[in-house]
Amino acid sequence: MLTPGKALKVSIYLSEGSTHHGASTYSSILDFLYFRGCSGATVLKGVAGFGADHRIHTSHSVEISDRLPLRIEFIETPEKVHELLGKLEEMVGTGMIEVQETTIAKPAQLSKPQKAPVPQHIKLEGKAQMMRIFIGESDRWHDQPLHEALIRAMRANDLAGATVYRGILGYGAHRRVHKEKPLSLSHDASIMISVIDTEQKLQQFLPIVDDMVEEGLVVLSEVDIIKYSPRASESVE
Amino acid sequence: MKEQFQARMLRIHFTEGDKWEGEPLYKAIITKCMELGIGGATVFRAIEGFGASARIYHARTLSISKNAPILVTVIDTEEQIQKLLPHLDRMIQGGLVASSIVEAIRYTPADRPPKT
Repeated sequence: MLTPGKALKVSIYLSEGSTHHGASTYSSILDFLYFRGCSGATVLKGVAGFGADHRIHTSHSVEISDRLPLRIEFIETPEKVHELLGKLEEMVGTGMIEVQETTIAKPAQLSKPQKAPVPQHIKLEGKAQMMRIFIGESDRWHDQPLHEALIRAMRANDLAGATVYRGILGYGAHRRVHKEKPLSLSHDASIMISVIDTEQKLQQFLPIVDDMVEEGLVVLSEVDIIKYSPRASESVE
Repeated sequence: MKEQFQARMLRIHFTEGDKWEGEPLYKAIITKCMELGIGGATVFRAIEGFGASARIYHARTLSISKNAPILVTVIDTEEQIQKLLPHLDRMIQGGLVASSIVEAIRYTPADRPPKT
């Protein structure tokens, strides 16, 4: 939580079209900052600019209009900035990151408590935990489907991987039967999300599940990891 | 509301074509679970698989025989699951039941306590 006084302002310069593991870099960074408990961040879109490649990108030229400059700004305590910086450097790819000292005159009002787990990208082997989350397909979190929000939160917290399954029939604590109807528009099937990672990382993620899941069941079990090999290009060091 | 307890999870594998007293076996199992007051159960249809009988099923095969692999996951306390097991013994002709002990966390909205 920000308090008046010294802080750091981070500006990240990148181009609009750049991607990180298949998703657009700026939205990945925004998700990362959001789910890592950053106090706030803004994405600004430039109308023209040039960078390391020394080519001018403007909104007039149609063919390169996806290369418009973007700037992501956020202000945080020095400790928090240093915690986030390593991962940001990896995510930003060819872009630039600038950190400057700043002074907070008046912090923004917080409307809810922050959660800030500290995930590490570690090699997965041997004993691990499997978390299964049972929810309904129509459950929502803020303005999006809960299962999609959970997956984004897991991704932003560096969990090793997650899969969403849709059930064809099921019921939960409220005896509300979830049924798949081929031509029905009411999407209220049972959803199971399965995620496997170390016990430590799943325990760190649980407070976020606490926050996001209003109704549902979470089960944890021990598993042995036989093989986990991210593609070479995606592995970290 | 959040409650944490030790539970048992059953994963029951069979195929979509399996029947019990004229209706699909997965429906019969869900109905039985509800009758016994078991906390929850979910049926999943897989897109590919094979079982003890070694037949391979693909979702892409244009077959009208609905024989996709089915997985039913049932989670409740040990005591409740023990009540279900004898029924499964009767109902499942060919299939597999895997059982494991799990740590469960149940979330219920404060304004709607679960029915028992």
